[in-house]
Amino acid sequence: MSDNNTFSPGLQDKIKKELTRYETKRTAILPVLHAIQDECGWVEEKHIEALNSTYGLDRVQVKEVLTFYKAYYQKKPRKHPIQVCDNIVCCMMGANEVIERIEGHIKHLEEKHGDNAAFEVIGVPCLGVCDQAPAIIVNKDRHHKVTVDNVDQILEKYSSLK
Amino acid sequence: MGNTTDKVKILTEFEGMPNSRALATYQSKGGYSALKKAFAMPSSQIIEEVKQSGLRGRGGAGFPTGLKWSFVPQNIAGPRYLICNNDEGEPGTFKDRYIAELSPHMLVEGMIIAAKAIGATKGYIYTRYEFFDEIRWLETAIKEAYAAGFLGKNILGSGFDFDLDHYTGAGAYICGEETGLISSLEGKKGQPKLKPPFPAVSGYLGKPTVVNNTETFAAVPWIINNGATAYKAIGTEKSPGTKLFSIAGAIKKPGVYELPLGYSFEKLLNEDCGGMLPGRTMKACIPGGASAPILTPEELKGLTLDYEAIAAKGSMLGSGAIMIIDDRMSMVQLMKVIADFYHHESCGQCTPCREGTGWLANIMGGIYDHEGHESDVEKMWTVAKQMGGRTICALSDAAAMPTMAITKKFGDEIREYIKRGTSA
Ligand SMILES: Cc1cc2nc3c(=O)[nH]c(=O)nc-3n(C[C@H](O)[C@H](O)[C@H](O)COP(=O)(O)O)c2cc1C
Ligand code: SF4
Ligand code: FES
Repeated sequence: MSDNNTFSPGLQDKIKKELTRYETKRTAILPVLHAIQDECGWVEEKHIEALNSTYGLDRVQVKEVLTFYKAYYQKKPRKHPIQVCDNIVCCMMGANEVIERIEGHIKHLEEKHGDNAAFEVIGVPCLGVCDQAPAIIVNKDRHHKVTVDNVDQILEKYSSLK
Repeated sequence: MGNTTDKVKILTEFEGMPNSRALATYQSKGGYSALKKAFAMPSSQIIEEVKQSGLRGRGGAGFPTGLKWSFVPQNIAGPRYLICNNDEGEPGTFKDRYIAELSPHMLVEGMIIAAKAIGATKGYIYTRYEFFDEIRWLETAIKEAYAAGFLGKNILGSGFDFDLDHYTGAGAYICGEETGLISSLEGKKGQPKLKPPFPAVSGYLGKPTVVNNTETFAAVPWIINNGATAYKAIGTEKSPGTKLFSIAGAIKKPGVYELPLGYSFEKLLNEDCGGMLPGRTMKACIPGGASAPILTPEELKGLTLDYEAIAAKGSMLGSGAIMIIDDRMSMVQLMKVIADFYHHESCGQCTPCREGTGWLANIMGGIYDHEGHESDVEKMWTVAKQMGGRTICALSDAAAMPTMAITKKFGDEIREYIKRGTSA
């Protein structure tokens, strides 16, 4: 019952805690996947294997959750995934122009760095902050009232756009 | 009885207060006194008080809250569960977020009272993944409530035990539907389940479960403290109490407003929200979240914000999410966003929903990309018409309703776009 390679000791503790926190072990699948992604950036095949071999979580059940929920990355994301809301209010308040601008930057970065470009855009539904539209999330930071004029400044905080 | 549509601060009592989220702040204005009062009441009396208050579910469906609580069978052995639906995924809705931001303890206290009423010993607050800060605030409130003896074993010496935990979703709108939420909480795909059995009888892990919206729970402490009669005196006779409205779009002061039900829409827009942004005019309004049928300026004239008045116009109050559509927004764009959203979020279990949302997104995509035919508008209406009422959950209807309204009321604009390549 020891797993010394796949998960860090801190993450192992977290996983163990989640597994006994709820009425059933299965309920812990979502929180466990959140914990893994928070530390590792995404959820890999080897994580699913370890969850099965070390902690007895059913592979099929874990996979099912992983593929159903959009918050989990099944592929290694770029360093700073940008979730952009393009739902009704954000759309009215200029989200499409913002997205266009971000995509322009990414194209430029890809020309220089290929797949190592720091950003990628992921479209997401309404983020529940329409009074602050348009809204985007970078890593786990929510940014409000994003415009074509301030978006560069926001992104530069994470990585150079040059 | 004289009803008032003057503003009352129930859910937003702590607006503008420093450290409004802290337990000490909440208690400085009588926080957790309703809990003490409720513990001195028989459970049936708590339910009766909430029934009498006329409180209706604030998550969208408007089901009477006290009645829902009374459906929990008291003769089934084993645990009962209480769940707060804090998924807030309906596009345009951002009012539950405000409760977490302002007074998470109001929610916690409301849940403990509800738990006492139905005899639940375990509860969960299920929050959408993207509410990072809000989740922290809710978790802090739960911790504080435990430390103060409001949660856990033998709460305030009453002999009543109630544990409350937080659970974070993972980016799926369908988990806002109560049985989808329960599936999710069981560690499964968030797929809705066929009703009956209703959650009140067989919910989380097959046990009796009550699911209520965040705002619904947050109204409970005030009702217990001030009584059903006082609550009924606010709002209209059929829609009592206050409601949080989240209003957004090209207006001067978007945000969350607590209003007595029956408040004037025009007053909200023009006075409270300061009207439209300079240079913009209102073209239409979606009054209750993305699934609510769109209303034209003509239909909005004299509209009051209560369940009955909005229903009388053929739309719904829903979650209280008001989206002001201005003249710069094309109905083609709006319809496309809505169609894509529901197609993306359909869980795929039911054929009318899976196929219907797929068709709508497909036809709309064609129109948007200038490959549409004039008959497409009619076709969309027909597809939507066939999506209602035959599915496991209401998402299919939620996609159909706005489609039928937009294609009917703004069909000319869409046809114009198809014909001329632009709607302007
Ligand atoms: C597709 C769909 C999405 C929903 N999303 C939410 C939501 O995000 N929050 C919510 O409280 N209710 C939502 N509901 C309504 C819930 O199913 C349920 O009616 C509600 O949580 C009950 O609580 P209430 O009676 O206090 O409103 C949704 C319903 C459907 C069909
Ligand atoms: S109506 Fe749609 S979202 Fe609801 S259960 Fe059926 S397929 Fe899933
Ligand atoms: S539409 Fe973008 S946050 Fe609601």
